[in-house]
Amino acid sequence: MSGDLDARLLAAHAAGDSAALVRLYSDAADAAASEDAAGFFLTHAYIFALELGAAEARQIRARLVRMGRDTG
Amino acid sequence: MSSSPLTDLSAVQQSVETARGLLNAHYTDPAVFAEEREALWFPTWAGIGVAADVPEPGDAKPVDFVGVPLFILHGRDGQIRVFQNICRHRGMILVTEPRKIEGAIRCPYHSWCYSHQGKLVATPHVGGPGQNAHAAINRDELGLIEVRSHIWMGVIFVNLSGDAPAFADQHADLIARWAEFDAPLHHGGADSTFQLLCHTNWKLAVENYCESYHLPWVHPGLNSYSRLEDHYNIEEPGKFSGQGTLVYRQIKGDDGTTFPDFPDLSEKWDSGGEYLTVAPNVMLGVQRDHVFAIVLEPRGPTETLEHVHLLYASDQTSDALRAKNAAQWKEVFVEDIGVVEGMQAARGAPGFDGGRFSPVMDGPTLIFHQWVAGRLAEYRARA
Repeated sequence: MSGDLDARLLAAHAAGDSAALVRLYSDAADAAASEDAAGFFLTHAYIFALELGAAEARQIRARLVRMGRDTG
Repeated sequence: MSSSPLTDLSAVQQSVETARGLLNAHYTDPAVFAEEREALWFPTWAGIGVAADVPEPGDAKPVDFVGVPLFILHGRDGQIRVFQNICRHRGMILVTEPRKIEGAIRCPYHSWCYSHQGKLVATPHVGGPGQNAHAAINRDELGLIEVRSHIWMGVIFVNLSGDAPAFADQHADLIARWAEFDAPLHHGGADSTFQLLCHTNWKLAVENYCESYHLPWVHPGLNSYSRLEDHYNIEEPGKFSGQGTLVYRQIKGDDGTTFPDFPDLSEKWDSGGEYLTVAPNVMLGVQRDHVFAIVLEPRGPTETLEHVHLLYASDQTSDALRAKNAAQWKEVFVEDIGVVEGMQAARGAPGFDGGRFSPVMDGPTLIFHQWVAGRLAEYRARA
């Protein structure tokens, strides 16, 4: 993860900005160097989307299921 | 006869002419307070708040129910539910302050997530980093623990043990008595609720509320229009008790405005009002144009927080008149604090025998004592 993304994630955590966390963790997953790292970041994106009641939670979960990281 | 070393209850279960009240330990002893949780609070229907505490879908509010952490959630499906406020993973508190929960209820510890129906929907990293499922963790078995609840007169009641008769059966007589008030109730909002902290055992608040005997002494302002002889006792042993008035007078604004009446009330309520306790802890009053509910929150044997709520027949009421009404009731209820705290302080007198009851005026109070004693005796017999 880039230093800039890491800083923005920390700022979003500090602000309790769940929408930003969904977006930033999704970005982190997309930029991850390995599938394990992508799964980790995508999991966080999913949880914050779920908490927010955001529509993208469904798509993120489907992606996790396709990756074998959650049940269908 | 009780086998418990805590207190003797037999003197309470006599006729009003000879009965004595509950002994000091019922007001001061942490061991009796703990016993009451099991005997009086968990197996009955007790109040924890009002529906207006969570007015919109997504609203959540934590409550301490005699030491049991619960939270009330107004779900996105419109249902108000009560859950134990504990994550099924490591037992973390889920909701620590009133707030909006738009989506899942996320545990702040490891982020296990629950739906508004209490279903466990996400277990992040439970199978290792980025692995969000594990064969040993069956989400269907690990939902939030829902507490049986029922809303009546705008109050949220819970039965923690889960095995009480249905609320409508348990309180059928009371519901029938006040069937005319089975109409939409509109909480007056922020200006129609207040809290009073009383350094007293919760039962003394109920005991005082049960009877009209104290009115001319503690509330002298009532004497000009609401005399002692204008009141009557309401006595349903084992069920409920309280008092009524024949001379309820509607509050009026400076311009003569009154609150709208509840629809289709019978003549009785033109000038009638009734004030009853749903044991253990909900004190209700009904009048033609508004209802109030006082939910008692015990904070230990010697401290009680009274949550007072005023509800109306319409959601279109005068701001000024609501404020005036709240101020008027607050004045009355504050006047009661002196006596309930005074009775509490007096429970330090060694050997006090529980006191006596006026055979004419104190019947409703004795009925409450007997409700307490009867349930404690049953509990002790089973223990």
